[in-house]
Amino acid sequence: MAQYLKPLPTITPLNQPYWDALRRHELRMQRCEGCGHIFYPPSPLCPRCWSRELRWTALSGRGRVNSWVVFHQAYFKGFEGEIPYNVAEVELDEGPRLMTNLIAIANEDIRAGMPVEIVYDDVTEELTLPRFRPCNRQI
Amino acid sequence: MPDFNLKDKAAIAGVGNSPYGRRLGRSPIDLAAEAIANALDDAGLARGELDGMIVSFGSPLGADADTLAALLGLRLRAYSQTWAHGRFTASCIQWAAMMVSAGFANAVACLGSWSLSHIRRPKFGGAGDREGAREAGGGHGEDPVFGMTSPGAGAALVARRYFERYGANSRQLAAVPVAFRKHAALNPLAIMRQPITVEDHQASRFVCEPLRLLDYCLVNDGAACVVVTTAERARDLRKPPVYISGMQPLPGGGEEFIWAYPGLGVAQQQVFEYEAGVQPVYRMADVTHKDIDALYTYDAFSILAWIALERFGFCKPGEAADFTQNGRIELGGELPMNTNGGLLSEGHILGWGHQVEIVRQLRGECGARQISGAEVIQWANCYGDSLIYHK
Repeated sequence: MAQYLKPLPTITPLNQPYWDALRRHELRMQRCEGCGHIFYPPSPLCPRCWSRELRWTALSGRGRVNSWVVFHQAYFKGFEGEIPYNVAEVELDEGPRLMTNLIAIANEDIRAGMPVEIVYDDVTEELTLPRFRPCNRQI
Repeated sequence: MPDFNLKDKAAIAGVGNSPYGRRLGRSPIDLAAEAIANALDDAGLARGELDGMIVSFGSPLGADADTLAALLGLRLRAYSQTWAHGRFTASCIQWAAMMVSAGFANAVACLGSWSLSHIRRPKFGGAGDREGAREAGGGHGEDPVFGMTSPGAGAALVARRYFERYGANSRQLAAVPVAFRKHAALNPLAIMRQPITVEDHQASRFVCEPLRLLDYCLVNDGAACVVVTTAERARDLRKPPVYISGMQPLPGGGEEFIWAYPGLGVAQQQVFEYEAGVQPVYRMADVTHKDIDALYTYDAFSILAWIALERFGFCKPGEAADFTQNGRIELGGELPMNTNGGLLSEGHILGWGHQVEIVRQLRGECGARQISGAEVIQWANCYGDSLIYHK
């Protein structure tokens, strides 16, 4: 695999299960056993009820585009060749939103509310990123 | 009401600034020293009477309060400093008002100073900006793994969300930088004084779409300082006091995103129709929107002016796009905003340039850009913090 030049995630004991799951091509987030709240980013306790009974739960990997931006300026060397590139905030069916890149779509065709599904992108042997692509689905 | 009511208990006694510019070739400490000395001179206070200091933006980009105190030969009874973000201007002044009211200090210099010209690009965002590398990501939505970096990108995410939700567009947003540039043209301190049009805005390149170059503030060098003292003491000093009559702190939590009010639906915010109601700052100052002669806001990015207007109830969510058209926020309009030119055109002095301008407006010192009869002026931000001043 070619050398990976983009920024790497800051992996901590708190978010390690998230990144480990992605390597197995699973999208997992914490679900509170107390109140059922599914949330992101990872927290030591449920932000809704403060329970510490949390379980890393597999999610559908489906959601909708909530907002997005298109970078026309290069900030990172690793992204220089991809200008203009998009960054999207996807709202998962289960509720949490996460930052990602949309693939298999031209930047000018991105629309708010557009249904998308996860694509597991193995960018290195150690790192899999959750990217999203448009999908067909009913409302 | 709390029995510790600070309405009109503290006042700004003096203001001062360094030149604002690019490549001034001066350090933050040097610029800060000039702003502090000018503010003391403006107030008619001797160096030995300055016994408090709060800096809103310390090292590595700005000047630290304790370093300044040592280098300037001050003897401070109280100092404090915030984390290196621009959102703490009102907080610093609020702390200073509490300090002088509590007797911790008699005169507190509140300031921001920085010198960005010597830093290689990009100054914000990219590999040198460690915001996004922190646990749980950056405070402006940074997530460098996906190329999401820089404060402006977070503002662009808010702008896109706002455009989509309320059917607004970039052309409408142009009204904000165009208005502030008109003001800057009347301000000898301002860095960018050449008037711009909506067409200039629309022709300027995207930095992080949907925000364009002219939606972004300046990156520059400069320092500005206000001296806070008790209202009683201020009345004996050289210039008429500008009273701090309303204060509203920074709210936090999961319903907040730095550049958006609750309900807009960015980051993990819920989606609902935000209702400003009567924000506490108006109750404390005992004024209403009608009493506000001018509004100043932290305009690092043009969209933040819309967010602030809606957050404080000058108009309803989605209405700022129309509200800001046809000169309403310009000098001579119904609600002049950022008559100094703001961060967008006067220069990015971390919000301190705005405080200096507010005080000068209330004293009637602003010449060609003077708001006639200005008596009550508000500083109110997209973050939810605010100050109300009166003469």
